[in-house]
Amino acid sequence: MRCLLFESIIAFLLVGCSSEYSHLQKIQDVGDCPDKVLPLIIKTSWYDASVDVVGKHLSGLLFIKNMPDSSKRVVFTSEAGLTFFDFSFSKEGNFHTVSVIKQFDKKAVIRTLQKDFSLILGLPFLQSPAERYSAGDDFYFGFKEKYGTAYFITNKDCASLQRLEWGDRGKRLVTVRTPGSGYPTPAIIEIDHHTFSMKIKLTRIEKE
Amino acid sequence: MHMCDKSTSLNKSRSLWAIIFVATLFCVTGKAQPKGFRPVSDLPTFKKQFATQSAKVSSIESSFTQEKVLTALTEKISSTGKFWFKRSNKVRIEYTKPYTYTMIMNGDKLLLRDDQKENRINVRSNKLFQQINQIMIDCVQGTVLDSKDFNVEVFEDERTYLLEMVPTSRSLREFFSTIVLKVDKNDFTAASIEMNEKSGDSTAILFKDKKLNTQFSDAVFAF
Repeated sequence: MRCLLFESIIAFLLVGCSSEYSHLQKIQDVGDCPDKVLPLIIKTSWYDASVDVVGKHLSGLLFIKNMPDSSKRVVFTSEAGLTFFDFSFSKEGNFHTVSVIKQFDKKAVIRTLQKDFSLILGLPFLQSPAERYSAGDDFYFGFKEKYGTAYFITNKDCASLQRLEWGDRGKRLVTVRTPGSGYPTPAIIEIDHHTFSMKIKLTRIEKE
Repeated sequence: MHMCDKSTSLNKSRSLWAIIFVATLFCVTGKAQPKGFRPVSDLPTFKKQFATQSAKVSSIESSFTQEKVLTALTEKISSTGKFWFKRSNKVRIEYTKPYTYTMIMNGDKLLLRDDQKENRINVRSNKLFQQINQIMIDCVQGTVLDSKDFNVEVFEDERTYLLEMVPTSRSLREFFSTIVLKVDKNDFTAASIEMNEKSGDSTAILFKDKKLNTQFSDAVFAF
């Protein structure tokens, strides 16, 4: 009886802890597949931003700008004009907080947003080499970073980007999708967090 | 957990900014003399006039154009919308292009509505909100020049009074460095408002097609 209980616990733990990337098969040759998708560049754009986090909702305007020195800036403001934060990513992907209001100035918040924006800006994919995997109808390209592995996922004919993901220790952390028109002018960007309740939806604004 | 804290406090910030926005619509307030303007020589008379004329305005209906400037990025975004005010404490600000967003203040209650959802906030739930609410009342009643929350200097040219408001309280200083309000001399209502942030970014709102003391339903402020 005790043995059965022990086995049940082990089985539960194994299932509970099983990797969400365990089905990936490592592959070598994918031809020029990554080159068809990379680099992921978003043109300078304004987005209407909607954020749902742990039962709370907030909205605002998100501005993404490609700077002349190849760095990128991400600025979030309220609809009425207040700048909440201004983040900078260097050409090499180094992150810098240009300004942030007190309410946003928390280490965990900034790190979460840094990772989210780094992924949608395609910054992890500037590094090389990538680990290459096959799974079902998809190719996975994984880039190891300080805080986990960034994946871009394509279908096997490499015709389109399926989604982007952050994963860490076998667990999927974040998924980014761009339904409709994709890079470099995604009409919609959806960011879903899987380890806590947070969704961000960005809808491109056509300036007047 | 942290993100939850962020959201809650951010909602407060957004609400606060909304109220500041509303409050300053009715207010007047600088350091250096603005170009083309001279200091108002007889401040007591101006104060009295401002209070008297403000009391005559029972409602305002107007269009507006807002321009947000990200100074360091040499970028700006313009938006347009409609504005309604009814004495003494009902305000609706509705952005229509290029995004939709509505703020309604009705007494102690505040509604923020975007494309996806809405937030209802009781202004009385927060001391800072109460402070801002008082600023709004002071502004509507034309007594903002006596407010302890701002150091106010008043300038004028031929057609406009310019009130340069420098926040004195720490809570307000966190959000902006100055607010500059231009008031039409002919009716003592806001012609434009410019909110300047510490970072150098600014937001300017220009009111046009103002209709004063017209009749419109309270339903505009219902939620």
